[in-house]
Amino acid sequence: MIRYLIKNNFKLMFRNTWSIVVMLLGPILVIVVLSSAFSELMKSYEGVGEFAAGYRMQDAAGNNVMLKALKAAGEEAGIHFYEYPEGEIKDMMEKNELAGFVEFFENEYVVYKSADYEVEGITLEYFMNKMMNTAVNASLQLQEQEDIVLPVEELNFMPAVNARDYYGIIYIVYFCWCGIICATGVLSNEKKYGIARRFYVSNITGLQSYLGKFIPVILTVTAGMAIATAITILLYDIHWGNPILSIVIVFMMIAAGTAVGLMFYNLSDSLVITIILQFTIVWFMGFFGGSFETYMFSSIPDTLKRSSPIYHGNRALVELSCMGESNYAASSLVYSFAIMVVCSMIAILADSIRKRGRA
Amino acid sequence: MEDIILKTTDLTKKYNNKVVVDNLNIEIKKGEIFGLLGPNGAGKSTTINMICSIVRPTAGAIELMGKNPWKQKKDVIHKIGYIPQELAIHGNLKAWENVELFTSLYGIKGEQLKNAITESLEYVGLMEHSQEFAKNFSGGMKRRLNIACAIGHTPELLIFDEPTVGIDPQSRNFILDKIKESNQKGATVIYTSHYMEEVEAICTRIAIMDNGKIIACGTSEELKKIVNGNDETITLEEVFLTLTGKKLRDYAE
Ligand SMILES: Nc1ncnc2c1ncn2[C@@H]1O[C@H](COP(=O)(O)OP(=O)(O)OP(=O)(O)O)[C@@H](O)[C@H]1O
Ligand SMILES: [Mg+2]
Repeated sequence: MIRYLIKNNFKLMFRNTWSIVVMLLGPILVIVVLSSAFSELMKSYEGVGEFAAGYRMQDAAGNNVMLKALKAAGEEAGIHFYEYPEGEIKDMMEKNELAGFVEFFENEYVVYKSADYEVEGITLEYFMNKMMNTAVNASLQLQEQEDIVLPVEELNFMPAVNARDYYGIIYIVYFCWCGIICATGVLSNEKKYGIARRFYVSNITGLQSYLGKFIPVILTVTAGMAIATAITILLYDIHWGNPILSIVIVFMMIAAGTAVGLMFYNLSDSLVITIILQFTIVWFMGFFGGSFETYMFSSIPDTLKRSSPIYHGNRALVELSCMGESNYAASSLVYSFAIMVVCSMIAILADSIRKRGRA
Repeated sequence: MEDIILKTTDLTKKYNNKVVVDNLNIEIKKGEIFGLLGPNGAGKSTTINMICSIVRPTAGAIELMGKNPWKQKKDVIHKIGYIPQELAIHGNLKAWENVELFTSLYGIKGEQLKNAITESLEYVGLMEHSQEFAKNFSGGMKRRLNIACAIGHTPELLIFDEPTVGIDPQSRNFILDKIKESNQKGATVIYTSHYMEEVEAICTRIAIMDNGKIIACGTSEELKKIVNGNDETITLEEVFLTLTGKKLRDYAE
């Protein structure tokens, strides 16, 4: 029975033209404005010059063929590798003005970074990540061949997430959390026309009436974001990573953001309070999570960054875009899912308490 | 013995210690068209809202077809069709979509739902306008759509809260005829209004309510007798004014 409720709420949202326009034009306009305003800031990152890094091979780590490839690729990308077999790594880095240090173990490697070379450190990290992936793939595919040749051109692209890609991705994420705008069409109408009375005089349960709003909102926002993303890709050639994983991450954030909004609405019973609360919270989450200043360079403490679900989403999607993989994909999904479940439960509970106590 | 559809016992509603419905006792039998008549602020809507489980009573009991609509809502709520005093329709939905949305809340779906929508819209004479947006309807059409949204699940008890406010005589007569028609088909009806002619024309029994109390109850003849003995010339309006007083009603609190 909820099918018809969803269908008609969906129509109500789509007929609330301004909210759709905001959801579509919002990210596009913001991406245009910020991608040019912040590209200066991003340049420091792109334009990192050549730098030196140390490395050390522990015992049975790797083979010389790979090392040769690493050094060659490093030269190509402007990273000069020098071996330091002995000594405290920290001292070595300070003494020799190394921007970073890589220690190879049998099955893994560790990247050391220096506070004085923040940007270079990140570049080195990206480089190693990309490098190891490529190396593993190459050695799997070309086992018979003597020499492993790494496709170096790809590596050049690797660390450089440009301003447009960054903001192109980040503002889709940001607007995903503002999806409650789309619900205003339904919520304000329900209130204005006293529609709740009809729900009271029916068999509909709290869960059903919640899903009746939740599902169409996430469908509407998803459709809006898909269009906004497509337009920004066409206009600005924004590179996204793994499409399926990226879509799932974005979708889960839409669901989480919608649940937060509906929770605020059911708690406050006021559209104005809901919008204000939602936008404030999203602003702070975005502030912590790199929506305004890129998360790589912002001076926000790490704990605060990690507390923001937007940070996890941003980082996962940006890394998927420029590195092809991200440790933050899983944490972003789990975080969004948890928010969705908890907020939905609070929303339904708040609604049922309000109904029970109604005048 | 006739079936009792609705029985209230000492039903009371207070808002901040102001008694709005005061120990109300009514009993409505199957097949009746029961008129609830009273001036503005008498407590008619509040009474109806308590019966429909929209407003929680402060005290007293409601028995709706043998069930308590607050405790056994699932068993009984789909048997009532509630037409609210204020329009409760989505302006941004078409007539068809409005009826579909609200009828589906009773678990009706598919072909059955389509038939129910068609019947409801035909019932109120809006079938030709089924694909028009409700916000573009005239006042009378909105009122009719408001009714259509509440009858798709063929309820046994229809509760009309002033369904004829602000509409022309044609629409009013149309609605009154339809209410009679539903009643002939077996539905019991509760009807509130402050238009005497309407109530006199369709109701089998009338209760006059003032300040939250029933001050008189019976057929229109019985009510006239209460006021004026055997004089037949008195109108129901005069009965009403005699019983409720001629002072202007203003309850803006
Ligand atoms: N939520 C509320 N809070 C406080 N007072 C209320 C509330 N709802 C209704 N009242 C008061 O209860 C009284 C009865 O209102 P009600 O709507 O039941 O009257 P009514 O008979 O339906 O009047 P009308 O003919 O104008 O529709 C009024 O004085 C009104 O001010
Ligand atoms: Mg009323």
